[in-house]
Amino acid sequence: MNGGVNGLGTVTWLSLRGSLRGGRLAGLAGFALVPAVIVGAIAITHPAAASLSSTAENLFALLTLPIVVMVIMLVLSVGQFRTEIDAETLVYLTDRSVKRATIVVGKYLGSLTAALVLVIPATILPLAVASLAGGISYPVAVPLTAASAAILAAVGYGGFFLLLGLVSRSALLIGLLYGFLWEELLPLLPGDVPRFTVIFYLRSFLSWELSSGPLSGFSKVVSLAASVATPIGLGAASVVLGAIVLGYLETAPERVTG
Amino acid sequence: MTGIVEAEGVTKRYGEVLGLNGFSATFPPGITGLVGPNGAGKSTFFRLLAGQLRCDAGKLTLLGNPAWGQGEFRRRVGYCPEGAALFDWMTGEDFVTTLLRVDGFSRAEAVERARRAIASVGLTDASRRRIQVYSKGMRQRIKLAQCIAHDPALVLLDEPLNGVDPAGRASLSALMRKLSAEGHHVIVSSHVLYEVERLTDQIVMIANGRTIAEGDLHRIRELIDERPHVIDITTPDPRGLARLLGDWDHVVSIEFRGPDHLRALTKSPDAFYAALPGLVVAESIAVLEVHSADDNLDAVFRYLSEGTR
Repeated sequence: MNGGVNGLGTVTWLSLRGSLRGGRLAGLAGFALVPAVIVGAIAITHPAAASLSSTAENLFALLTLPIVVMVIMLVLSVGQFRTEIDAETLVYLTDRSVKRATIVVGKYLGSLTAALVLVIPATILPLAVASLAGGISYPVAVPLTAASAAILAAVGYGGFFLLLGLVSRSALLIGLLYGFLWEELLPLLPGDVPRFTVIFYLRSFLSWELSSGPLSGFSKVVSLAASVATPIGLGAASVVLGAIVLGYLETAPERVTG
Repeated sequence: MTGIVEAEGVTKRYGEVLGLNGFSATFPPGITGLVGPNGAGKSTFFRLLAGQLRCDAGKLTLLGNPAWGQGEFRRRVGYCPEGAALFDWMTGEDFVTTLLRVDGFSRAEAVERARRAIASVGLTDASRRRIQVYSKGMRQRIKLAQCIAHDPALVLLDEPLNGVDPAGRASLSALMRKLSAEGHHVIVSSHVLYEVERLTDQIVMIANGRTIAEGDLHRIRELIDERPHVIDITTPDPRGLARLLGDWDHVVSIEFRGPDHLRALTKSPDAFYAALPGLVVAESIAVLEVHSADDNLDAVFRYLSEGTR
């Protein structure tokens, strides 16, 4: 038996399937479509091509990347452990011979894959709508860079929120506070403070990759390598930390009877 | 004797609440019943065995391995938790197959084992349906199927008969006996004592997080022979009867429970029952009903648990 690979693959597949189902999938898919719907609405009311082009790109920088992607990652990642601990379904995995670290990695990969199914369309569709409605021809670099930034965001936020779901019973609330206060307000502060946010590096990545347009105007004070490595590093570090935490974590609900 | 599961002074706290309080027991090969009322600590003990919880004090081993921790030995253990939570969005067969895959079985072998296990719990017809439409009894069965599908040496069943209809109870009980006959070791918990009594004579009794008795059921019953037995008597003349019973050496106390009801505590129930008819005839006292609360395992448990309070 090729236990380790089977175990990782199965946990990943289980997590992916569990993430993409029922009402949650419908809700997240609807949320992912919001930027495209906004662009479509603007296309109907203000069909001027130049305005539509910049609107679609601005929406990516202001709505899709910091809010839509972040919320999708929060919902999918936090639930990977917190929901299962509370529902007592995690025991079906932890009482098996598969290592707990494998469970963490599998759940991360599964939720990340599920998220990308939603995040990439959320990134590409508004640009596609603008392109179709306004007859705009974006350079290939624009959707590619936007999608890459969204993937980097998913990698970083996904790992962080997965870890949050492991260590806190209030992970969803803390995640929302982090997303809407920390990630939104700190970039507005002067000096080096914005460096403590993920969005700072994602925006820097956009500026490094694109030479013109609304997505190219962000700060480039950190290198391209740092812009890419920071979200990936955050995701990887969170997963490693999560594996260590789960190794020591009691996974039964707080008070049990019987 | 080395046990399949050994607990030495195991303590588990939930904040200030004690789930287990110095629980010690040796679970021998075969089927062993863990018996105790709700809140006694049975599920806490199973969760410790399943590696969901960690002991605060004491030592707990299963199959020679510390209960806290992952590893290959987990492949030799099957656990059927008490709660009804399952991956409701999966079909029964998918559920069991997936968990076998997590354990490292190839797809083909996992499917074959899953189907065999599902058949053994009598759920083949429903195996392609989503678990969310399963009845409580069916959910218990599919949990049991995932627990035995990988052919574990040790099967841990936490209240497995809860919510199962009478026919299902009979078939699941038969399955447990079959597992034992095939060489599996089974630890089964229940708060319904007669269920365990029908499965095995090997009992560990738990109350308030402590072991109150362990061993052969008949030996446990002998333990309570050292304690007074309760006999309730309904008679129109409880005071007259009490005066007569008070002369018997083995009657240690008499308590009036109502206008026509008294309770006698005796150290020798056999002598009591032998002498009572003669007394009734000789003294012409009407006795409408004699009832012993000590005829079943419930009474054994009640008596023994009193000692832990």
